[in-house]
Amino acid sequence: MFAAIFIPNFSLQAALRHEPDLRSQPVAMIDPALPKPNIVQLTEAARVRGVVEGLTASQSMARCAELLIKIRSPAQEQIATDALLQTAYAFSPNIEATAPGVCTMELKGLGLETEAAIRAWADQILQALAGLEFEARMGLATTPALALLAAKATRRFLIVRDSTEFVATLPIAALDPAPEIVAVLKRWGIRTVGALLALDKADLAERLGPETIRLRNCVSPNAARPLKLVAPKQVFEEQVEFENEIETAEPLLFVLRRFVEQLARRLEVIHLVVEEIHLQLKLSSGAVYEQVFKIPAATGDIETLFRMLQTHLEMVRTDSPIVALRLEAKPCPPETHQFGLFETTLKDPNQFAETLARLTALWGSDRVGTPVLESTHRPDAFHMKAPEF
Amino acid sequence: MPAANIIQLRQLLKEKMPEVRLSLEELPSQRQNHWATGLARIDEPLHGGLPKGALTEIAAPHRSSGSALLLHALMRKAADENQIVALVDGNDSFDVTDVDETILARLLWVRCHSAEEALKAADLLLRDRNVPLVLLDLIANPLAQVRRVPATTWFRFQRIVEQSSTVCIVFTPQPMVSPARARITLPSTRFSLEVLDRESEELVSELKLEVSDARRARKVNELLRNSA
Repeated sequence: MFAAIFIPNFSLQAALRHEPDLRSQPVAMIDPALPKPNIVQLTEAARVRGVVEGLTASQSMARCAELLIKIRSPAQEQIATDALLQTAYAFSPNIEATAPGVCTMELKGLGLETEAAIRAWADQILQALAGLEFEARMGLATTPALALLAAKATRRFLIVRDSTEFVATLPIAALDPAPEIVAVLKRWGIRTVGALLALDKADLAERLGPETIRLRNCVSPNAARPLKLVAPKQVFEEQVEFENEIETAEPLLFVLRRFVEQLARRLEVIHLVVEEIHLQLKLSSGAVYEQVFKIPAATGDIETLFRMLQTHLEMVRTDSPIVALRLEAKPCPPETHQFGLFETTLKDPNQFAETLARLTALWGSDRVGTPVLESTHRPDAFHMKAPEF
Repeated sequence: MPAANIIQLRQLLKEKMPEVRLSLEELPSQRQNHWATGLARIDEPLHGGLPKGALTEIAAPHRSSGSALLLHALMRKAADENQIVALVDGNDSFDVTDVDETILARLLWVRCHSAEEALKAADLLLRDRNVPLVLLDLIANPLAQVRRVPATTWFRFQRIVEQSSTVCIVFTPQPMVSPARARITLPSTRFSLEVLDRESEELVSELKLEVSDARRARKVNELLRNSA
């Protein structure tokens, strides 16, 4: 049995992950890498207003004045792919990166015997992906191709028990055939896969070529192929290039909050916490501001992580506006600590680190810390260092 | 072992060795709520030590009254217990060269330049609730500056600190922390030049201290007023 996760309009969803409110708004995406940068993907709200794929940006704006145009970002798609694969890997060790926005998983060895168990398992995956702001769909079938067809055919989740019954009513377009074959089949009155399968295999191949063999194999319950297994990268980062330059802290903190939430959720799914955060701000002058935050007590708590960044950014002044932001979290396994009877460690090291950061921000590192006497001939020589309690 | 035997054994131990504490419940609640300074002249009148989750004021109206000696003694006691100490130094007057490195290793020193800065730092540290002993030293600040601290500030500190088990000690040039649960006043102590060669532990024992439990004093006053 195979399961396929399908994220429709993957490029657009990857771009809107940090602005989920826009998913219900008319938004379309253009791909600047194409020779003609036409609309490639769009939201349902934009489609309702008459925008379709293939229109130019100006044509689309003429149909829908409030349409928001987004530029396709391969970097954001790569991050979204990483997030998808990392989430899938938490639920099955056998996963395949089938296509952008498509991940196929093998259920063998997971001990999912009953339909109720499979549904609960799939529901957990969809919930985890929803937490990462993905509107995903899942299909389960005996072959990877059928599982993907099921995922594309459903709004949320579908298990294909009888593949013949499932494909009988499936439109031919679902198999993504070549346009010329679609035209011929249309002239013949063949609209569904069931009708296509009713035709003789050899006769069909003789008239329309080997492409039809591929189409038939797609829906064959016996055409199970081995998955090209992948292990997701253990890189947890989020980045964005701002459309408008950022000059104040508020919009930056707003995006940072989203990033921290996303990273914490991605790590939560695989039972890890944040040990270190790398913050990178690209400035319009070309300079890069970088800062590494070592978390005193590794945590996945969003508030704690965000406060740490916020406290630091409150005292940061850049020479020029910010044009891009990148945040990377270094994960580690969560540690549980039991306080000893005679141990006097800090109750909440993260809170203490934040208080120290605030005090240092107010008066500087030479006025806050632990004094260390210097080994010199000057009897009153000392320097301040960060406390190590 | 049957439960009855354990009870009998406890009873026997209690009779033979009354000073031994056999369970947590027997711990006097007063001792749990106080931090023993190790100075009998302070701990005894305050029924076990400085109150936790409350403000303590150490007022030194005169110069050379031994407030620095007392400050060092408290820090030494905390270091002996491996506790973390925060010293909010109101006028950046703390002499670190006079302190052992073992004490300094557990010290967070905030060097402020005014009473206002010191109050801000103390506020942050009290809200943090990680540091069990917070010392706010305003003795070296100009009196006019300290007098300008509104009384509401101390009440705010009291509200913050009572939600934790922090011992917060405020050193002031004159009594002014009205919600302080305990108050220690240091009258002028003139040491002769000879005694200055002695160990600071000895000098602390010679300090003149007037210790009062403010809460108890208030209760007594209320009782007297009611009876009148």
